[in-house]
Amino acid sequence: MSLVSRHLEANGIPTVVMGCARDIVEHCGVARFLFSDFPLGNSCGKPNDVEMQRSLVSMALDLLESAQFPRTTVTTPFRWAADAAWKRDFYKLDLTPEQIARAREEFDVQKAVLKGKLQAPGA
Amino acid sequence: MTAIADTSSDPIEAVLDLPVRYIDRSRAYYMALGYDNPYRWAHNDSVPFTALSKPLNRSRVALITTAAPFNPEAGNQGAWAPYNANAKFTEVYTMPVEPAPDLRISHLGYDRKHTSAEDINSYFPLARLKETAAAGRVGELWPRFYGVPTLRSQRLTTEAHAARVLGLCREDRIEAAVLVAT
Repeated sequence: MSLVSRHLEANGIPTVVMGCARDIVEHCGVARFLFSDFPLGNSCGKPNDVEMQRSLVSMALDLLESAQFPRTTVTTPFRWAADAAWKRDFYKLDLTPEQIARAREEFDVQKAVLKGKLQAPGA
Repeated sequence: MTAIADTSSDPIEAVLDLPVRYIDRSRAYYMALGYDNPYRWAHNDSVPFTALSKPLNRSRVALITTAAPFNPEAGNQGAWAPYNANAKFTEVYTMPVEPAPDLRISHLGYDRKHTSAEDINSYFPLARLKETAAAGRVGELWPRFYGVPTLRSQRLTTEAHAARVLGLCREDRIEAAVLVAT
């Protein structure tokens, strides 16, 4: 998504990116980034929290207007949870050799599925 | 107190409540699984920037997403679904904002332990943008949105998909875009 944002900006269309992976977006570099320190997949707020979702959209639009320079990141003020325990879990590596083997096997299956889709006629 | 107790096995982001370093995590994970070609995330020294050409309340705004249209033939795409490559899409698409579409997260790297994906509004802000447009905050929310696939190839994304999205934006005379990563 950052690559698309960059391409639009380079061709005269202002953008704002809403996301949760700060390192990935900033490593790529975008004009405007609204960062929420939430688990990946919640760029627009917590599920069923309409007020928070409304605030995030409003902040994204504010950022579209207010940014003066590229690489402008605004961090939203909301917390996912009272503590940071959720940050332990993503791609956690405390796996047994059997769990690693199963994860590898499952991912190989998914890779093959995607490869097939990409090679299918019309893909 | 917002961090957690420090134990030797806890990642530093949980201990100090830092943003998660997804590049490090995913790299270590796939190396541990035995893959020897770790993904190289896109990196750029310079960043293009375009200012709004007119006030937002007179601008035509498009919504751009990486979420996938629900495909009843593609298996589990519901809340807490495991990674399902069959539900991924491979080409840029566009759909009307009315009726509201049924989009799901088919991305490999979202947080399947803590993200339920039970509420589309947590990853696709169409309803909130419609409210905002109705209140006059943006001039016009364009009546179709664009979907961008998340595939591994940066070249494909830049040369094909980003170019296609730019073409759609020009066709629709879009003046600003809200992009949402899922």
